[in-house]
Amino acid sequence: MVIKMINFAWTIPLLPLLAFLIQLTLRTKGKKLWVSWIGVISTFLAFLYAVFLLLQSFVWNRAITDWKVDWLHIGSNVITVGASFTPIQIAMLFIVSLVSCLVQLYSMGYMKDDGRSNTFFAYLSLFTFSMLGLVISPNFLELYFFWELVGVCSFLLVGFYFDRESAKQAAKKAFIVTRIGDVGLFIAICLLYWQVGSFDFAVVKQAVDTNQLSAGMLTLIAILIFVGAVGKSGQFPLHTWLPDAMEGPTPVSALIHAATMVAAGVFLIAETYWLFEASPTALTVVAYIGAFTALFAAVIALTQTNIKRVLAYSTISQLGYMMLGLGSLGYGAGFFHLLTHAFFKALLFLVAGAVIVAFRHEQDIRKMGGLWKQQKWLAVMFLIGSLSIAGIPPFSGFFSKDEIFLAVYHSGRYTLFVAALLAAFCTAFYMFRVYFLVFTGKEPGEKTKSLSWHFQVPIWILAFFSIFAGFVQFPSHILGEWIGVTESSTLWWIPVAVTLIALLGVFLAYAIYQRRWVSAAKIAKYSGFGYRLSYRKFYVDECYQAVFVWTLKGLGWILMGWDRFILGGVAQFIKLLPRQLGEIGSFLQNGQVQRYLLISIFGTLILLLSITAGRLIG
Amino acid sequence: MGILSILLCVPLVGVLVLQFFPKRKFSAHRVIANLTTFVTLILTIYLYFPFQTGQEMQFVEKVSWFTFGSFEPISYSIGLDGLSLPLLMLTTLVSFIGSIASIYIKERTKQYYSLFLLLEVGTIGVFLATNLVLFFFFFELTLITMFFLIGIWGYSKKERAAYQFLIYNGLGSAFLLIGIVGIYVYFGSVDYDSLMKVIPISSFNPFTWTLLTLLLVAFAIKLPIFPFHRWMLLVHVQAPPSVVMIHAGILLKMGAYGMLRFGVSLFPDYMEYISTLLAVFGLINLLYGAILAFAQQELKSVLAYSSISHMGIILLGIAAANQVGLQGAVLQSISHGLLSALFFFLVGALYERTKSTQLENLGGLAKSMPIYSGILMVASLGLLGLPGLSGFVSEFFSLLGLFERHPIYASVGTLGLILAAVYTLRALLSVSFGEQKKSISHQDIAWKEWLPMFFLVVTIVGIGVYPDLISSTLNHTLETIVSDWRG
Repeated sequence: MVIKMINFAWTIPLLPLLAFLIQLTLRTKGKKLWVSWIGVISTFLAFLYAVFLLLQSFVWNRAITDWKVDWLHIGSNVITVGASFTPIQIAMLFIVSLVSCLVQLYSMGYMKDDGRSNTFFAYLSLFTFSMLGLVISPNFLELYFFWELVGVCSFLLVGFYFDRESAKQAAKKAFIVTRIGDVGLFIAICLLYWQVGSFDFAVVKQAVDTNQLSAGMLTLIAILIFVGAVGKSGQFPLHTWLPDAMEGPTPVSALIHAATMVAAGVFLIAETYWLFEASPTALTVVAYIGAFTALFAAVIALTQTNIKRVLAYSTISQLGYMMLGLGSLGYGAGFFHLLTHAFFKALLFLVAGAVIVAFRHEQDIRKMGGLWKQQKWLAVMFLIGSLSIAGIPPFSGFFSKDEIFLAVYHSGRYTLFVAALLAAFCTAFYMFRVYFLVFTGKEPGEKTKSLSWHFQVPIWILAFFSIFAGFVQFPSHILGEWIGVTESSTLWWIPVAVTLIALLGVFLAYAIYQRRWVSAAKIAKYSGFGYRLSYRKFYVDECYQAVFVWTLKGLGWILMGWDRFILGGVAQFIKLLPRQLGEIGSFLQNGQVQRYLLISIFGTLILLLSITAGRLIG
Repeated sequence: MGILSILLCVPLVGVLVLQFFPKRKFSAHRVIANLTTFVTLILTIYLYFPFQTGQEMQFVEKVSWFTFGSFEPISYSIGLDGLSLPLLMLTTLVSFIGSIASIYIKERTKQYYSLFLLLEVGTIGVFLATNLVLFFFFFELTLITMFFLIGIWGYSKKERAAYQFLIYNGLGSAFLLIGIVGIYVYFGSVDYDSLMKVIPISSFNPFTWTLLTLLLVAFAIKLPIFPFHRWMLLVHVQAPPSVVMIHAGILLKMGAYGMLRFGVSLFPDYMEYISTLLAVFGLINLLYGAILAFAQQELKSVLAYSSISHMGIILLGIAAANQVGLQGAVLQSISHGLLSALFFFLVGALYERTKSTQLENLGGLAKSMPIYSGILMVASLGLLGLPGLSGFVSEFFSLLGLFERHPIYASVGTLGLILAAVYTLRALLSVSFGEQKKSISHQDIAWKEWLPMFFLVVTIVGIGVYPDLISSTLNHTLETIVSDWRG
């Protein structure tokens, strides 16, 4: 039985796919409750399977059987489709199926009153299928296949409230901006194919190990793959879609835009890490982009007033940390942070969703306050998430962040180290700014809405993981050993520094937003331009609008004029040139088939004549 | 009579039967046309199974037709190989769905369906013919029937569209005819088989160049390639949607087929020689079409320019001059044929309800027409090349092929992937997303409409998920063509 289950591990994504098909068929007829349970149960089964695989691999060190069948022919080359199960893939299976299952359960509460909730659950199942498929892909082409599919699911779910103009624009932006990144990955895949002759990770890895690729080509390919990751994981300069994606329902933000899909970029780099290890230049690029994004997004998050946007920028910033870790040769550190982040960020989003529901769909943190007195458990949960992301021991975020700092320090790039420290300070500050604004202060006049068990159970479970997930790496490095990383020597002062700077951020937020020793408005006023820069997100959207959108529009109008008047004019000219042709045209206008037939016969005659003439010449 | 001749005769029988019904029996006309096209579809599906991959021309029929003195006699010869089989299947499928989609035609149905079936004879014949004269005959047949279909049943500027169609294509036919005559005179044969043996490889001479240029220009007008594309815009916009399904779905692909059959397979080394030029034109088509599609204010124009853009990809695949690229070019022909058939069915259904295809008059249709919007969504995702739908494999193969020969051009070509997303989503979102423009809610499509659409969707998904459905029959034929390049 056990052996059989190991052999059929590739069937995991089929469960949610089946659920999707059923849910789509039952879209209008199916009872809401049933349709949502179909999704939850299928994902739960996938989760159980993932747990089984995790136990097999993690605890008993058994190899999970890979799977492979012929898929398509490129010329005479056979391309296969399949599944592989390396430790990080199994870890991702666990995270994705767990968070997806919890989010679907949560959505049963959150989407209860929505008329199109059946469609919503169908989309969630489709997403879960695509994401699981992405995770177990053993080759680039299959990965790209699912990579685009998760993108489209994200598009569908961001635009779920399709009648809202903002949701429509956000969905479009999410798809197009990530596609710009995807093209990088696309080119990398094509180049690799002609260099190596295969899409398989294993084959490409071997080619890299045996130096079949030139150094320049390697760097180019690695950077192009990174461009794909930049788009998906919301790294600068392709980060602009992620905050806008918050137009989607909050459970979607938790699942897709925090825990799983946006981490796919980081996962991709982790999975093809041998490529990056072979190219120091590419690693440097990854590290710098990551560090810059971490700080940049954290600074923006300081001043945002929409609770979901703060969390969105925080996600971008944390993804930047992961990239920084990977770029600093901290393979284990980057992946470890992906794992802990999935839990605490999903937790924060789900709590934020609950808060939004409690305040009757208000998202502006300035209009919230005093929730602590009415819903204590929510406050505690949010606090757990905040402490974890801020990096306060012993919460999970502390351990993973600490490893990243260690890796950066060992890489010797001290500028990046300082940038990361600053970002950590900002992280603690903006999270606790939200915390104090939402949960402390004046109680809301209206009684806030109480929340059903669908909200509570997923939040409790995620809180559990947010607290304890860190212990897979501390005190003993079992995660690192499992994914095959040798541990580097720890330095005692790094965790201390990280904790202190986080506490400083918390304290500052406490001083400004709880005690109100200093007025936030005054600070904003005195920091003037700096505040505006942060509040307006460094005007990146405006720049893109001016540079890309207007250029494309202008070009469109110019070419339209050219096409209509110049080419159209030439067409008119050609039409007039042989007058006879025109006359034949008017002759034909009476629409009599006989006349046209006559002309055809005439044409055939010319054909015959010319052939005869040709014979005379030849 | 062999099975291929039967296939050619079925629509003719349909035309005959139609003549026995009185003018006013609209529903009878529809039933006969649908049945006839359905029979042709079944016949081609039936052909798929005994088809032997790894053999050349099959089901060959050859009857001597007429002779010119000492020249090789011209014969009625038809057959099927790995290149024509997928296109033939596309033809009968799109014709069948197009005939169903003709429910929106409400006047002079008897004449309409007669011409429609004659058009099918022409399109089937083009892909079955195995000599140039027969090819030309069927090619002209499609021209005549299309002219009337556009001119009589089109929208307000139908006459202008019909004439522009006739003039451009007439010009193309003239080039084609001169080219064919030249080939016949110079090489002494019009049969594909004997020509492939006769035309010498890698000995360039100016006369052959002239002949090839004539043929290429003829097919460039048909495909169409920039700057010969103006006529097809009018046709896309002015012809009735069910006719555009055939036009965009099949007739444009005759241009691609011609380039592959007479360009690549007869003059392989010449085509390889001009591959850079082809790549440049492919890129122009791809980007020019995409940018203009973005600037359009009307749905059918968006689709027309997107067709130009997608035909650019076919050209890129041919420019790759390797097996992957050609595979991509053929797959792109099939994929775009299916997608544009689906799209123009959708356009027909839309116009029937809204009486407008201006983007500014549309919006929020997802509310009152969820099924319609769902299918439109799938079609759009196919158009922008989402994996899992047929558009992805074809674009991927074409560009992958081009990356071997011209990596820089291919990289520029990937811009097309982004632009496709930009213009497609813009159009899609302004039709089905946002607030509903008018308070009147439209009736969602009925099963008579969504069932055939769904059939197309299944085919599109099928090819997208398992491209070997087509590739398996195609590959051997392409291999023989490519072997000329390698050798």
